Amino acid sequence: MSASNFSTPARPATSARGTTTKRDSLAAELERDPQSSSAKRQQRSQAFTSTLAHASLERQLVAARTAKMELESKLRERDATIERLEGDRRWLAEREKEEREEKEQEREERDHEKRTVDHELRALRNALTALREEHADLQDAHGSLSRTSTQTITTQKAQLSTAMRQVTLLEDELREVKSVADARSRMVEELQNQLDTASTMQVNFGRQNLDDDSWAVLRQELQRQADYMRKLEGANARMSVELTGLRERHASLEVLREEKRDLERKLEGGNKLREEVLRLEAEVQAARQEREEWYKAARLDSPSETPITVTQNLSSLRLTHASLLEEYGASVALLRRREAELADTQVRATELGNIVEQLQQSARSAQDKIAKLEHAGSLADREIGFLQALNASYASEAATHGSSDLEDAKERHIRDLEVLLDEYKTQTRVLEGEVEDLEKQLIVSQDASGDLHEEKVAIAETKSAHAECDAAVEQHLERIETLEQTLFELRGEIGAGRHLPPGVRVLSLRDNPAQQWEDLSKAAMDRLKVENDALLKRLQALEADGARTAQKDEPSEDLVPRNLWEIVVEQKKELEDMVKQKEKRLLRLQQVFTAKSAEFREAIAAIMGVKLAFYPNGQVRVTSQYDLNASFVFQPTSKAEGARMQLIAQGEGGPQDLPQLMRNWIEEEQCVPCFLASITLECYDKWRRDRELGLDE
Amino acid sequence: MAPTKQAPMRQAITLKGSTNLVTEFFKYAVNTILFQRGVYPEDDFHMVKKYGQTVLVTQDLALENYLDKILRQVNKWLLAGGVTQLVVAIISKDTRTPLERWVFDVNLVEQPSAESSEQAAAKPEAEIQAEIRSILKQIVSTVTFLPIIDEPTVFNILAYTSESADVPADEWVDTDPLAIEASKSQQVKLRSFSTDVHRIEAMVAYRYEG
Repeated sequence: MSASNFSTPARPATSARGTTTKRDSLAAELERDPQSSSAKRQQRSQAFTSTLAHASLERQLVAARTAKMELESKLRERDATIERLEGDRRWLAEREKEEREEKEQEREERDHEKRTVDHELRALRNALTALREEHADLQDAHGSLSRTSTQTITTQKAQLSTAMRQVTLLEDELREVKSVADARSRMVEELQNQLDTASTMQVNFGRQNLDDDSWAVLRQELQRQADYMRKLEGANARMSVELTGLRERHASLEVLREEKRDLERKLEGGNKLREEVLRLEAEVQAARQEREEWYKAARLDSPSETPITVTQNLSSLRLTHASLLEEYGASVALLRRREAELADTQVRATELGNIVEQLQQSARSAQDKIAKLEHAGSLADREIGFLQALNASYASEAATHGSSDLEDAKERHIRDLEVLLDEYKTQTRVLEGEVEDLEKQLIVSQDASGDLHEEKVAIAETKSAHAECDAAVEQHLERIETLEQTLFELRGEIGAGRHLPPGVRVLSLRDNPAQQWEDLSKAAMDRLKVENDALLKRLQALEADGARTAQKDEPSEDLVPRNLWEIVVEQKKELEDMVKQKEKRLLRLQQVFTAKSAEFREAIAAIMGVKLAFYPNGQVRVTSQYDLNASFVFQPTSKAEGARMQLIAQGEGGPQDLPQLMRNWIEEEQCVPCFLASITLECYDKWRRDRELGLDE
Repeated sequence: MAPTKQAPMRQAITLKGSTNLVTEFFKYAVNTILFQRGVYPEDDFHMVKKYGQTVLVTQDLALENYLDKILRQVNKWLLAGGVTQLVVAIISKDTRTPLERWVFDVNLVEQPSAESSEQAAAKPEAEIQAEIRSILKQIVSTVTFLPIIDEPTVFNILAYTSESADVPADEWVDTDPLAIEASKSQQVKLRSFSTDVHRIEAMVAYRYEG
């Protein structure tokens, strides 16, 4: 159902309704005319159909309205749904946004965490490297410590072994001394037995009234014992002296042995050094010979043709020089070590001297002791004499008094004697101990003295070897110096380019500055040479027929050789070409200048209303465009002041009040542009007036 | 374990690094010689900061190209170990007699054996630069004793190469060693510098008619 269907029949409907209201007049008209009645009928039918149509249309309209309402309601529902959906969407978008923000936050957190973790990782790595370095350092320290500890252990082991050896020696000596002591004790027992027999004899004497013979025997026996005692003391003194000496030697023995071992080792090193020195000397000799040969060869040959052998010699010489330098360094190091060792041995020698002094002091003290013992022995002798006298007095008393008193006295006396004997025994034991010690020291010192001598000899040998080494080292130093000098000179040979090592090429870039210069100068030289040759030829020719030429008096240009002439002509042509070019250029420039100046003048004339004419002497003629008679000549006052112009002449014409203008503008104001402007104005006025007059006429 | 790990941490100079260092040194040494000996006018040079001091370097394009070409080839030779000596010869323009020969001996430093390699510490770059600086200073100071050159001069750079070295035949040619006569020759040994790979010994031989 289109819109046209709604609209078009509506109009006739309204018109029909209008017709119904005016029915009477119309009907009257229709009744008058049968045609009109039919028309009226037709009209009625039409109106009916139109009302029908109208009703149907109204129905349709209602239906349409209901449909519209429905549709509107539907639309509203839709809108509601849309709104709901929109709300949902917004809610979802918010949710999404929240989620995104959360995600962002989470990501940032992750990043932050990652960064912190990276930092930690880096720090840990740094710590790791530092710890590794520390570990390496500690390992080094541990290695050095272990080395030092092993060294100390070995030295201590060595000391221990020497100590053990000493201990075994001492034990052996102790055993010997014990055996000696046993023998002595046996002797003492014998003596006691003798004493016992003597006492029994004395008892017998007492029983047999102690006759003088037995007393004499006893006295003799006592005397014998005293002698033996004195002998023992003498032996003791001798042995103590020996003991002191031996003690000294024993003390120094071990030290000396160590020194001996050291020195032997050094001696071995020295021998090696000596061999090295010999070898080096031989090498140096050979090198010198080679150098001399080389010198000879070098003097004979030119540098670039040097034989290969010479350069090889040179290279070998260099090598030997280097090796000699090395050996020299090694020998110097060895020398330093030897010196250090020497200093050590000297220190040891002073220590030994100290020890000897100590031992001498101890010997002196021992001698004092012995003297004391001797004094004690003499005291004992005197006591024995006193006792003998006492014994004699007792004997006489016994002879005079009763036997029982005598026996008691004898028994007391014997007891005293026994006590005395015990004392002697203890003293003897002490002395025996001393003797044993002295014997031990004696044995040891005998050994030590032999070692000491050997050590001294060894030291002397090492010293002499050391001195030899020093001398050799000095010689080597001198040689090295001379070799260095020759090496420097030889380097100079190579550096100055006189010697070319074999297997070496000297190259330079083909296009080098020197070559360029040479080429340049060579070209000039070649040209000159050609000229010279030509001249010489010409000269020869002239000399050959000199007379004829002089007589014929040929024109002078014939004397110039052809080559030279050609060159000169060529040069002339070149120069002429150049002049032509320059002239052309100058002409063009002049043309340009004139064109430009004309343009300039035209512009001035058009703008300022004056024509300018420049004279070569710097003067400028100014002519007004409106009055050709009004012309002025200006001249620059001076070059220093620049463009300041001076009016020097004027034309015949000009405005009538020209003198006044000149006075006003030039003399008073001194303003040439204003003057010219006023002139231009005046001239223009005049020119216009003239033109108007001309036109009028 | 730790020392072996530590070893690579020390930046030992490589052959290439050393070669570049030596080539660069040649560039500045040659420029200094050319300036100090007045081979080229002083206006041709401009100041450049190098090795912690001011060095004068040429601005002459032709000369720069020439030096560049030479140094590029020298770099190749150094990498292959084919060059033993570089000589800057100063020659009189008029008489064509060699007046001075600046000799730079190139020696390869013997590489230490495997067992001692750990002990040999790499030479720090600052030390090398100090050595180079002192050589350049010495070149400057040689003006005090070298004879004054009062004639126009020209120079040439000679390369002493081994016969086995690779030579671009179209650019490089065998040449005269430009020797100074023995009777008129004096020489002065200059300082030297060394990287872990190369050792450069400098010397100047000059013509002296006294």
